Amino acid sequence: MKNIITIIGATTLLFASCNKLDQIPKSTVSKEAVFNSEAGLKLYTNSFYTLLPTSNDILKGDNMGDFVARKDVPDFFRAGAFGPAQSTGWTWTSLRNINYFLENNNSSSVSEAVRNNYNGIARLFRALFYFEKVKRFGDVPWINRTLSTNDELLYSGRDPRALVMDSVLNDLNYAIENISAASEATRTRITRTVAQALKSRICLFEGTYRKYHTELNLQSTANRWLQEAADAAQAVINSNLYSLANITDIENGYRNLFISTSVNSETLLCIAYSQELGVFHDANWYYTSATAGDRLSFTRKFINTYLRSDGTPFTDLPDYKTQTFMSETKNRDKRLNQTIRTQGYTRINGTQTVNVPPQFSQTYTGYQPAKWVNPDMGLDGGSRNASNIPIIRYAEVLLNYAEAKAELGTLTDEDWANTIGQLRKRGGITGGLSTKPTQADNYIRQNYFPNISDPVILEVRRERGIELALEGFRFYDIIRWKRGELFTDTWNGMYVPALNTMMDLNEDGVNDVYFYTERPSNMQSGVIYINVAPEVNGQPNNMILSETNKGEIQWMNTIPRVWNDRMYLYPIPLNDLTLNPNLKQNPNW
Amino acid sequence: MDEEGKALKDVSVTINGTAAGTKTNDEGRFTLHSNASQGSITFSYVGYKTEVRTFSGNAQINLVLTADKKALDEVVVVGYGTQRKANLTGAVEQITDEALKNRPLTNLSQGLQGLIPNLNLTPPDGRPSTSATFNVRGVTSIGQGGEALVLIDGVEGNPALINPQDIASITVLKDAASSAIYGARGAFGVILITTKNPQNEKLQINYTSNYSIKKPTYIPEFVTDGYTWASMFNEAFASWNNYASYPQNVNKTLPFSQEYLQELKRRSEDPSLPRVEVDPVTGQYVYYDSHNWFKDLYKSNTQSIDQGITVSGKSNRTSYLLSGHYFNQPGLFRYNSDDYKMYNVRSKGSLDVFPWLTVSNNTDFSKVIYHIPMNVGETGGIWRNIVAEGHPMVPLYNPDGTLTYSAAYTVGDYAYGKNGMDYDKNIFRNTASFNARFFNNALNIKGDFTYQITNNDETRRRVPVPYSRIPGVIEYLGNAYNDMRVIKRSTEYIASNLYGEFEKKFKRHYLKTLLGYNYELSTYKRVGTERNGLIYADAEDLNLALGESMTITGGYEQWNIMGGFFRVNYSYDDRYLLEINGRYDGSSKFPAHERFAFFPSISAGWRLTKEPYWNISRDLISDLKLRASYGSLGNGNISSYVFQEQLSLSKMTRIIEGVQNPSTSAPAVLPAGLTWETATTANFGLDLGLFNNKLLINADYYQRKTINMFTTGPELPAVFGAASPRGNYADLMTKGFELSVSYRDRFLLAEKPFNYNIRAILSDNKSTILKYNNSRKLLSDYYEGQTLGEIWGYVTDGFFVSEEQIRTSANQSLFLSTAAGVWRVGDIKFKDLNNDGVIDYGDNTVNNPGDKVIIGNSSPRYRFGLNLSADWNRLFFSAFIQGVGKRDWYPSRGANTFWGQYNAPYGHPPVSQIGNIWSEDNPNAYFPRYTAYLAWTAGGVLREVQTRYLQNAAYVRLKNIQLGYNLPDQWLRKAGIKGASVYVSGENLYTYSPMFKYTKNNIDPENVSESDQLLGDGNQGDGFNYPMLKSVSFGLSITF
Repeated sequence: MKNIITIIGATTLLFASCNKLDQIPKSTVSKEAVFNSEAGLKLYTNSFYTLLPTSNDILKGDNMGDFVARKDVPDFFRAGAFGPAQSTGWTWTSLRNINYFLENNNSSSVSEAVRNNYNGIARLFRALFYFEKVKRFGDVPWINRTLSTNDELLYSGRDPRALVMDSVLNDLNYAIENISAASEATRTRITRTVAQALKSRICLFEGTYRKYHTELNLQSTANRWLQEAADAAQAVINSNLYSLANITDIENGYRNLFISTSVNSETLLCIAYSQELGVFHDANWYYTSATAGDRLSFTRKFINTYLRSDGTPFTDLPDYKTQTFMSETKNRDKRLNQTIRTQGYTRINGTQTVNVPPQFSQTYTGYQPAKWVNPDMGLDGGSRNASNIPIIRYAEVLLNYAEAKAELGTLTDEDWANTIGQLRKRGGITGGLSTKPTQADNYIRQNYFPNISDPVILEVRRERGIELALEGFRFYDIIRWKRGELFTDTWNGMYVPALNTMMDLNEDGVNDVYFYTERPSNMQSGVIYINVAPEVNGQPNNMILSETNKGEIQWMNTIPRVWNDRMYLYPIPLNDLTLNPNLKQNPNW
Repeated sequence: MDEEGKALKDVSVTINGTAAGTKTNDEGRFTLHSNASQGSITFSYVGYKTEVRTFSGNAQINLVLTADKKALDEVVVVGYGTQRKANLTGAVEQITDEALKNRPLTNLSQGLQGLIPNLNLTPPDGRPSTSATFNVRGVTSIGQGGEALVLIDGVEGNPALINPQDIASITVLKDAASSAIYGARGAFGVILITTKNPQNEKLQINYTSNYSIKKPTYIPEFVTDGYTWASMFNEAFASWNNYASYPQNVNKTLPFSQEYLQELKRRSEDPSLPRVEVDPVTGQYVYYDSHNWFKDLYKSNTQSIDQGITVSGKSNRTSYLLSGHYFNQPGLFRYNSDDYKMYNVRSKGSLDVFPWLTVSNNTDFSKVIYHIPMNVGETGGIWRNIVAEGHPMVPLYNPDGTLTYSAAYTVGDYAYGKNGMDYDKNIFRNTASFNARFFNNALNIKGDFTYQITNNDETRRRVPVPYSRIPGVIEYLGNAYNDMRVIKRSTEYIASNLYGEFEKKFKRHYLKTLLGYNYELSTYKRVGTERNGLIYADAEDLNLALGESMTITGGYEQWNIMGGFFRVNYSYDDRYLLEINGRYDGSSKFPAHERFAFFPSISAGWRLTKEPYWNISRDLISDLKLRASYGSLGNGNISSYVFQEQLSLSKMTRIIEGVQNPSTSAPAVLPAGLTWETATTANFGLDLGLFNNKLLINADYYQRKTINMFTTGPELPAVFGAASPRGNYADLMTKGFELSVSYRDRFLLAEKPFNYNIRAILSDNKSTILKYNNSRKLLSDYYEGQTLGEIWGYVTDGFFVSEEQIRTSANQSLFLSTAAGVWRVGDIKFKDLNNDGVIDYGDNTVNNPGDKVIIGNSSPRYRFGLNLSADWNRLFFSAFIQGVGKRDWYPSRGANTFWGQYNAPYGHPPVSQIGNIWSEDNPNAYFPRYTAYLAWTAGGVLREVQTRYLQNAAYVRLKNIQLGYNLPDQWLRKAGIKGASVYVSGENLYTYSPMFKYTKNNIDPENVSESDQLLGDGNQGDGFNYPMLKSVSFGLSITF
């Protein structure tokens, strides 16, 4: 008996001493504390918002678009520079975060409707996550739970695109059914309407992808997705919660959408910035720095697609190829003058308003973007912009609607007038607003989409390029339209009628640029001198003129860009393929 | 004669206060003639205690000199006790305050560098607040990491904040056997700092004062002539752009054109022209200066003052010691100076309550205040910012006194003087202890209790900087910042020890045992607040921040440990020595079932010279001891709570509904199991005393195997969605040695003894990964078989010499020598080691590294130190030389001090590059064709690590040299002064490094480390950090 007491006593003592070394963290929370209240669910779902595009994804997102020249050739298009060893994007941390939420959001302390609302948000983000993965890699494994370190799914193969996208559609539909809010004033939260708009984007992508990428053998399902896209866009339109903004301000209305610190009726979802909170993006720096950034400039081939203000194609003019910058930028769709620097473009330097021409230290073609750039030059060096960046604009919903309907062949004149017509009207275009086009535009067709004969589809694509330029859509638009060859187009710039001539691009009486093959001895202050000799010091020159002594600027022909149909999908990164050979590489990589 | 009755020859005999002196003869006899009828005679002989005898008249003096076994009888502080040096069996090294004397130290780690072999201190920069990590014997763990445990008077403390003058001795316990008693925290060595105790019966007051003049060891010498700079900039820029475009701006702040360049030339030829004008078209200032921004940045020198006073005494039953210390080093920066101040107060006292019981108390307060100026234009250190925007053509001020745009980004912000951080750190500590002695002192029971609170506060203010580009128009830089941040951190720490020691000697057997218990609890709390909207730029309190952006963050961590420990020492005849240590340790940082672990160790020594059959003369080999030890220790240096599933909260950057919301996300995947990392050390040592212990040699060789290091798990496919849970997966082996050799002797110089002492130390260590989860041996991570620090790179094959050679050489298109991918004569050519016609990195694995090979190693190797000291006739002199024998450095991306404009075109070219840049006339130059971005941009051909530019950053440095004079007693006695000395001391006065061949005096070999870490992430470029300082100081020490 005595021994037993001793043992019990000793054990108790031992336990007591063990317990003394128990420490509970206090600056973090337990799972229960999070999932037992709506506040906790909201706290957790906030972490999903990092999946939304960043400012870089949007305002720099077109740096691989076919319509921009830049300071260097992206490795993706450089022969031999990109392969499985360089590929990235096979990261799955966000998915685990979402699945962990869905697995644990089952506390009876929270009502089912509330839980479903947050599950809806989680599943919307899961759809977005998978949309990005499918866009990039095609087939991917569908995973809807958190994996353990010995889970068989870790080493299984990829699931077919059709299965994954059906699951994405399920997630989208669940989100639309269960998210309670229809709108939110600051346009920074996911709502049911935002979910519908995203659905239209995703379904349009999938529908057109299946339609044009016949190698998938999914053409027969394309229309179902296009119809889903049209219906989702229709739902947003019918909600009457949103409309095009600044429609009467033809001169500045379009541009103001991108430099405004307040939200407008057109924004469904945006990234918010704030001077007060000290949260900024770096649009001005990116688009005006002579050293940092990609120094994006539009190609002339794309600038040519902007219509004349009467609604007729600029490229119908017989002399359109030899028009100077000064003349070609007049009497056009006003969005041109709000997208790039042209005559009358001014900025604020300190307190002075100054005329600012395209600067050849920042542009290679002459068509220098102005779209995201705040006029205040004080914001140029560093992250200083506080304007909102739209993630989804109502204009995109209209374009999604028009494109889905056009692809389905069901776009009516009324549809045209309510979508493209509205957008063109805001651009100050006066003609062709109420009836859909009946004649295919030769320029667009020959230069961009030779396989499309439908005039409506051609016009919708023109419109989408112009309206959404520099908003991060272009690369994947080209991919889904299966027109990768466009990425190898010559990067061409403005027409230079003669060498050794001063040019005043914005006609403010101050000379801006001077092209030469032999450097002049006397140089004028403020003028940028550019050598366009075919060779410099025995090496090919990066900037030349198409006809040597005159013609269009051609930039960076020295590094050829290549396209191969395998590039419609990114390769699985080498490292990941090595870890799990069952993934199998995408074709021809 | 000596203790054994043998006659001693050459004993020096002098009559005090006179020049009379002689030496003993072969029979040990001497005769001295003197006019004095009485006085005292000093007998001194190396290796023996000096004796003083009084005489009167013609008396005969017989004297037995006892061997001075100071070196061997020296008592060494060890864990929870002391030990005779002669009986040490572990690897233990001790130095005394002598080594720190008369040196103007901003903190202790600077003073200890190079003094103890394999106590490796590598300061990352020269900031007064910088304290090097205390590392013992090399790389500890690549998992949890770990540093040596530093104990001050037996309790963990911060060596950076201790008063250097309070230190009596510093002991380093290097092997497992000697540090095992500290269990889980002693896995990587223990440093025991012991503070001074009262020495004298009488009241003694010691006052010391030191005044130092300090300046950087090296200030980089850059091209500052505006025109030269600008033409180099123009060339580097154009070359990168294939000579097809020319710069329009110098980075962000200065417009540039060819016409401007021509104008700079004209003005450089005609210096009478004004250096600032206003452009009539733009209305902006145009600058034509040749400005040296470093002259604005640094004062020509700064001074530090060090004052200390110690009052101590003893009586029958009490003893006391009070010390105060004040150190003030005004900053080196000319504007917004980085002032550093340290205050220390210590009070120690003890009372013999009973003959068998002593109670003591030790109170210590330390405070450090440090101000750091900062820039708001760009984050990061000023050094990087000067390179980015401090263009020589632009002055600091415009003619109207406003700052220039370049200045606002750089030194102008300092001149404006509002932006910066203030650190305020203080430590209060009190240790109360008792010592009870029983059975004729055979049994000692000791106990202590310590309470320590550390406050580490930080205040940061950022406001926009006004500048002007157009006369009369003020603009502001850093609009995003107008805020104040206050962080309060406090750590409360209690520690208590209770231990008993029993010591018994019977006949030739000696036994000492120690048994004890230790408990420690540490609680860390943090509050951080930040708010913007300061109502004016000088606001100093959060109340004046009224903005919308508010952040309040908390923080908490608590851990506790408990352990029982023992030590048994046994020796037979002082000949065979044995020591066994062990500790049973428990830590809250491990899950319940892994919480406790037992760490044993054993060590033994054999004193050969004590063997009866040892018959080599003691005059030759005086003492020889062999030592060996073996033991394993757990590394408890792991962050708290890693085994618990927790969701952490953070504030989002993204604004949702107008605010930056908090968010939380899925917790990290927990490790399946978590246990102690274990470090097992085997140590072999040799202690040798020669020539009556005049020459002492200590040598140690060790192997330390760290197993079960807590590192990354086996690589999992990415679909897992989280980092592979860390676990006890990796093993590491570190091998090294220590050697210290000292020689002391004396001779008579002008009939006065000249004592001298030489001590040289050398140590090394090398670590190899034995096990690591990197099955493919990717070079981007650790891998099995890797020697830590190794540098992989390409082999440079000179420069291209002809177009023909460019065409026929291996394809280098993975790299860039111009933006357009064009290669020219004078560009870097790599060797195609695998002859596949392409220069590349293969799979970036050990087995397929393409053309890469191991070209060097960045770990410092063969650290050495050399101490010389001498005294003669009241003069004393010492010199201390310290260095690193081998270390490779590849200048990183951004390391402008090395790369100049090869980095970014707007960088500053070092003058040392001039004349060493490739051109057709100079094809054998060190640097290639002058081209910007090569060391900066991804793929840039100089950014790729390669043999040609690998620098040998070994160095040797005259760390300290001093000369002093002890004032004659007779001068002082009248003033009631017991002793006084004056000295002059120089710190870091001379340095040599093989890399100076190319870097000249641009960079100190200890500054080649990463960029400033207080203001940036350390990745802005090697060398962009606070300079090392050299100093000359004058000091005095008076004892009353």
